[in-house]
Amino acid sequence: MCLNKKNKNLSLSTDLATMLSDGEAKELLSFLTLEMRADVKGQATGYILGLTGNRDGCRYLRSKPDFLKALVTLTRDPSITIVKDCYHALINLSADETLHQPLVKETDLLAILFQNLLDPEYMFADRICTILSNLSRHERTCRDVFSALQEQKIGLDKVVEIFCTEGFNKKASLHYLGPLLSNLTQLPEARHFILDKDRCVIQRLLPYTQYEESSTRRGGVVGTLRNCCFDYTHHEWLLSDAVDILPYLILPLAGPEELSEEENEGLPVDLQYLPEDKKREDDPDIRKMLLETLMLLTATKVGRQIMKNKNVYPIMREFHKWEKDPHVISACEKLIQVLIGDEPEAGMENLMEVEIPKDVEEKLKELDTKEQEQMEKDKQESEKQLKESPEGLER
Amino acid sequence: MENFSLVFFIDVYNHQFPIHDLRLIGHEFIDISRTQNTEFNKVPMFMKTAPENIDPEKHPDLACIQSIIHDDHRTPEEKARSLKDEGNEYFKEKNYKKAIVSYTEGLKKNCMDIELNAILFTNRAAAHFHLGNMRSALNDATAAKKLKPDHIKAIIRGAQCSMELRNYAGASQWCDEGLGLIPTDKKLQELRATADKKKREADRDARKEKIKAKKEQNEKEALLAAIKERGIKLLKTEPSRHRGLDSEDGDGDGGVSRALADLELDGISSQEATGACVYMDEQGVLYWPVLLLYPEHSQTDFISAFCENSSFMDHLAVMFGEELPPWDSERKYQPQNLQLFFEDPEKGNLYQVDLEKSLLNVLQHQRCSVKAGTPSFIVLVSGSPFSKQFLSGKKVQRLK
Repeated sequence: MCLNKKNKNLSLSTDLATMLSDGEAKELLSFLTLEMRADVKGQATGYILGLTGNRDGCRYLRSKPDFLKALVTLTRDPSITIVKDCYHALINLSADETLHQPLVKETDLLAILFQNLLDPEYMFADRICTILSNLSRHERTCRDVFSALQEQKIGLDKVVEIFCTEGFNKKASLHYLGPLLSNLTQLPEARHFILDKDRCVIQRLLPYTQYEESSTRRGGVVGTLRNCCFDYTHHEWLLSDAVDILPYLILPLAGPEELSEEENEGLPVDLQYLPEDKKREDDPDIRKMLLETLMLLTATKVGRQIMKNKNVYPIMREFHKWEKDPHVISACEKLIQVLIGDEPEAGMENLMEVEIPKDVEEKLKELDTKEQEQMEKDKQESEKQLKESPEGLER
Repeated sequence: MENFSLVFFIDVYNHQFPIHDLRLIGHEFIDISRTQNTEFNKVPMFMKTAPENIDPEKHPDLACIQSIIHDDHRTPEEKARSLKDEGNEYFKEKNYKKAIVSYTEGLKKNCMDIELNAILFTNRAAAHFHLGNMRSALNDATAAKKLKPDHIKAIIRGAQCSMELRNYAGASQWCDEGLGLIPTDKKLQELRATADKKKREADRDARKEKIKAKKEQNEKEALLAAIKERGIKLLKTEPSRHRGLDSEDGDGDGGVSRALADLELDGISSQEATGACVYMDEQGVLYWPVLLLYPEHSQTDFISAFCENSSFMDHLAVMFGEELPPWDSERKYQPQNLQLFFEDPEKGNLYQVDLEKSLLNVLQHQRCSVKAGTPSFIVLVSGSPFSKQFLSGKKVQRLK
């Protein structure tokens, strides 16, 4: 999913990439300095951008750390066009996993990105967020990103603060901080911070599960919450009044149905008396993530108890009637099963600690792979009709 | 200041001559003895007794003035500080009004110490808070924060004031600002959690109210529709003070809200003042409040829920069946003797009602209309002298 924003001289680049001799490369590199004449510099960066437009070009640059360094340096260039090209090139490069280590190890990219992120006037902040969320996708470089946060003395709390401050940057929406946070929470250290009981971090993220203006932001937050729910030791706290995660997970799934007064009064406050224009989450992937998160919360006995007591079944019942996507329906059914089902037998109370016999485990893995394959097939078919995302980002 | 005591004479035989106690104040000699009982005497400068003998409990203002006496020697910062301390003293005694005065005076010194001024604002905010002056308190907290953005006490106070003013979103914002400075502050976390909870409850209440109002609106519209469908005419009330309530109705629903208002207001303003109003049951049957008038004895009867499918005889048989009303001195108001009429308000004609017919049927009569949401009927005893007299001179449409 390496797609560039500006498709300059694409075909030309592909040819040149294979043809670029060492001497030519050296010359090109010499054009990529701050001191160089603007027009030459501009052409050079445009050319590099073209290179990053396809996989071969990216791979070529992987072996050329000096080019990467130059790109990063040129983000400080006074010309906006050049800076823009550099950022777009970096976005494309960061969408290729093999470029991750070279980018963070051979350049001071992370330091520059974070410093500029903090600047409320920086007009390329959104591109920074995209790059960061790309880089944090896989664990290894994700660790580097997280470390850089600490080293730059910024910390995750600053990121959360910026994310949750409406209008922090007038020129950038910063929605992609959502996916960044979600990616970072694959690390236990990041989860540890977000789930800190002595602070008020996760509580600030919760309202964004309903953020209408951006599915990126919404999805990022839901992904973050889902990752955090893998730590079942925090479930009771998450479901308690101190955090009260449940309504925020269910609200996006609730619709405008008229429930009886009785049913309404039994629901959590946020789910009562929903207006007739209430809309459900329209991204099926996010709906699925929400259900997965809810399922995670049913892993412990205490969690199940609380969720049953909160009486959200009527909402799930109506949701099940409404949902069309088969994958989501099946996730919903699993959840309902737990909500209205009996307690599992002794020894199985914490579903995350249950020992699965080896042969059963293998069978389940097999089934999972088959399901994944099927889903991929379905996805590819539907993607053919959809527009492609320019940022080359996967959740 | 020099203290001259001049001449004094003693009248050995009689009273003392007035003693002139002259003091030089500025360039004037002022006879203090003349000002024995005035405010002058309370002022330390002019007092007879030494200031140390004054009870500070009784005259705390003195303490204040005393410090001002030595004004010239102190910097604005020092004065402001003393005033802050003084304010704090009053605060401890729960004398919030006086505390506010002191803090205000302190602020007026306009000293350069930003921290001190922030504290003065914050403390004054606290005093206002305890007096219930939430807006003033909030203003002061805001001013304190403006001077010193990291002043946690001001931020906590700002959050508390917002809570009291029911601005829960605002309270959360204050808390978040504070938590940005001290992420682990328990008080702020608590406040934030409470603000959040209250906001969500308030949101729920608003939603509930909206749905309730919508439901009521729908019910009333259905009611009006049912009445209209039956061809029953509702008379509007005279333009009265009631009208003012709805004339600015911007509902855009045409005459519906006006008609609804008529129905409502009329029900409330009905003569029996029972607040009874026509309603529709689950089967779609209407029940009317009905007035029966007995002009002979200036009496009335009120039937609060007359089913449209019932006949008058159904009711009269019960009302006058077993026992006759006490006012019926002649014992003649028996069901079989009664005649009912309704009046056409336009022309003043009377129309006799067939007692076996249903209320619905009667109300559907061409010339029958419902005034004030309450159908009313005149009851007379057939053939009685009063009835003859009452009906003479009127155009009466009798039953065939």
